[in-house]
Amino acid sequence: MITRRIGRFFDERLGTNAALRYFATKIYPDHWSFYLGEFALYAFGLLVATGIWLTFVYDASQSSAYSSVVALSRSAPVGYLMRQVHHWSAVTFVAAILLHMARIFFTAAFRKPREVNWVVGVSMLALASLAGFTGYSLPFDALAGTGLRIADSVMLAVPLVGGWAADVLNGGSYPGPMLLPHLYTLHVYFLPVAIAVLLSLHLGMIIYQKHTQFVPDPAHVVGRRFWPDYALRMIAALGFSAAVIVALAASVEINPIENFGTYHDWTVPNPAAPDWYAAFLDGALRLGPAWEFRIAGHPVPAIFWPGVVMPLVVFLFAICWPWIDARFTRDRAKHDVLVPPTFAPWRVGFGVALLFAGFVLTLAASDDQQAFTLHVPVENLVVFYRIALPVGSVIAGCLAGLFARELRARDTQHGKESERVVVLRRTASGGFAEEDTQST
Amino acid sequence: MTRIALFGAILAALGVGIAAALHAEVAVLGWLATLAFLAVAVAAGAAAKSLRASSGLIEDRHDRGPSMLEPLPPDVVSRPGALGRLWMYAVGAFAIMGVVPFVALARRPGRRGTAWSSGARLVTSDGKAVKADSLVVGAIETVFPQGRTGAPESATLLLRLQDDVLRVGPDRAGWAPRGNVAYSKICTHAGCPVAIYRHASYELYCPCHQSVFDVLDAARPVSGPATRALPQLALDIDSAGYLIARGDFSEPVGPDEWWRPA
Repeated sequence: MITRRIGRFFDERLGTNAALRYFATKIYPDHWSFYLGEFALYAFGLLVATGIWLTFVYDASQSSAYSSVVALSRSAPVGYLMRQVHHWSAVTFVAAILLHMARIFFTAAFRKPREVNWVVGVSMLALASLAGFTGYSLPFDALAGTGLRIADSVMLAVPLVGGWAADVLNGGSYPGPMLLPHLYTLHVYFLPVAIAVLLSLHLGMIIYQKHTQFVPDPAHVVGRRFWPDYALRMIAALGFSAAVIVALAASVEINPIENFGTYHDWTVPNPAAPDWYAAFLDGALRLGPAWEFRIAGHPVPAIFWPGVVMPLVVFLFAICWPWIDARFTRDRAKHDVLVPPTFAPWRVGFGVALLFAGFVLTLAASDDQQAFTLHVPVENLVVFYRIALPVGSVIAGCLAGLFARELRARDTQHGKESERVVVLRRTASGGFAEEDTQST
Repeated sequence: MTRIALFGAILAALGVGIAAALHAEVAVLGWLATLAFLAVAVAAGAAAKSLRASSGLIEDRHDRGPSMLEPLPPDVVSRPGALGRLWMYAVGAFAIMGVVPFVALARRPGRRGTAWSSGARLVTSDGKAVKADSLVVGAIETVFPQGRTGAPESATLLLRLQDDVLRVGPDRAGWAPRGNVAYSKICTHAGCPVAIYRHASYELYCPCHQSVFDVLDAARPVSGPATRALPQLALDIDSAGYLIARGDFSEPVGPDEWWRPA
């Protein structure tokens, strides 16, 4: 058999069988929520596969970028589908990362010894958003150009260095001749390579440190063997993730640039709103106060606070969360067992409050369309959202915390916590022996 | 179940390939691809379900190296059976599904014509039109069709010879009025410009790979790796005395390729 021969060829030279044996028999804990991160992984795979194809048709010059993207969807249906799958993969990629991060947060999987992997994960979320934004800009349609114009204004608002950075990115003032080539290099080279490197670190650390689990047995990893059990589940997850994305691409049109037309800095499509993961920034720009002051004669524009300071604070806060959490809980011990969310209602409340704040900002990014449909002056909506941002977040957080506490009380009543866990231990001879572990 | 789903995945993935090649609609392509991925999910899911219950296996938390002494469990090393081969065919079908969109990028191969057309005046690289007696006997000039200076594959060598030295076949009679003969400047070997004229021996010499073409004998190769003559441009003289082309080149210019029309 040819596979056997290939296997022997590599084993004789590289000793691959020992590694295969190690990885194939490795035990992985299993839970439905562990597949959220895998969805992100497969979305990234689709992004790379369709992205390579798109590089063959895209022209990164200001005069031809738009027409090259329009032409690709007109020349062959497969080109249109490629772009749709690429864009849908991008928006679901960021969504899956965020859901995966929420799972990690609410079950406290970020605790020691996994803080490093949390930082890697948060960095990937930021990189994925940047990759999404640069990709959204590349067709240089009216909406993309408008987004770039806003991003340029935000850059210019950074005191001292902003103007220099914007000049380098543009190769002059906006929209400079080097803007699209620079965005293109970032989008197809630096950002994906950075994501791929961090992804390797992320997965490598998971394998090395071993996965967390809900089974309250801190001394052992309890779960399924990689081959064939977990591997088959991964293939199923791959097929399912790809099917969902391609089905969306085939049925729901995303970013119809043909309707927007090419970009001129004196036209803007209405309504104008970004992809969902950037909407919280746009919402913040809409809700931000009209403050501008001067430092030594230099203006610090209003958009500096919602456009630069807010995302930076959110990012740093997310990075630092494992240490903030450890200080708050006074718990600096190593943990491999997950905390069911209901066991820490305060964390549920805090997380929900943060997500709600993001939700309000995201909603605010389409306040003009809401005003139009609801026949409410947009000015009133801005006031409403400005109040809803702090007040609503606190209320949502408190409600979620109380709900989690209630759920836990119910579980305790029904005796769910004292479930008996049966654990099979592998013996030295290769067989399995049953062993009882009483959960706490 | 796994078997049926895998068959479905293979058919759907190949279907995407065929549909893409036939320029089928987006909906057809998209839903076939969805079906292919979904079938893989069903196949793997069903295979996972059919395994004997394997959850609840444990290993020590602090074991960090491979344990090479343990024998491999039998189902890790078992040789692939019919089902295993079906999985491999599915991988192959998905590979085809991945390659076809790249094929869709390609335009029909085969050389398209040059910028030369009937009646086009010959101009030098600085745009000056050439008359029948502009060149002295023995001179050589690179010319283009008027208004298309620098057009791809259109660079042409114009040589002025004595009236009687050219050996003209009956099919090319009158192509070189008053000793003005024109050949493609693009070498038929590897596409370099045939830039050097050996005046004394009436030979065109390609500096890249040293192919030599006989100007007097329809630019046939006499030495070096080229196998095909430089295509000749049939010339005429218009009423104002300027040199014009009678049409495009007699045959495709440039190097040979698989799809070159015979």
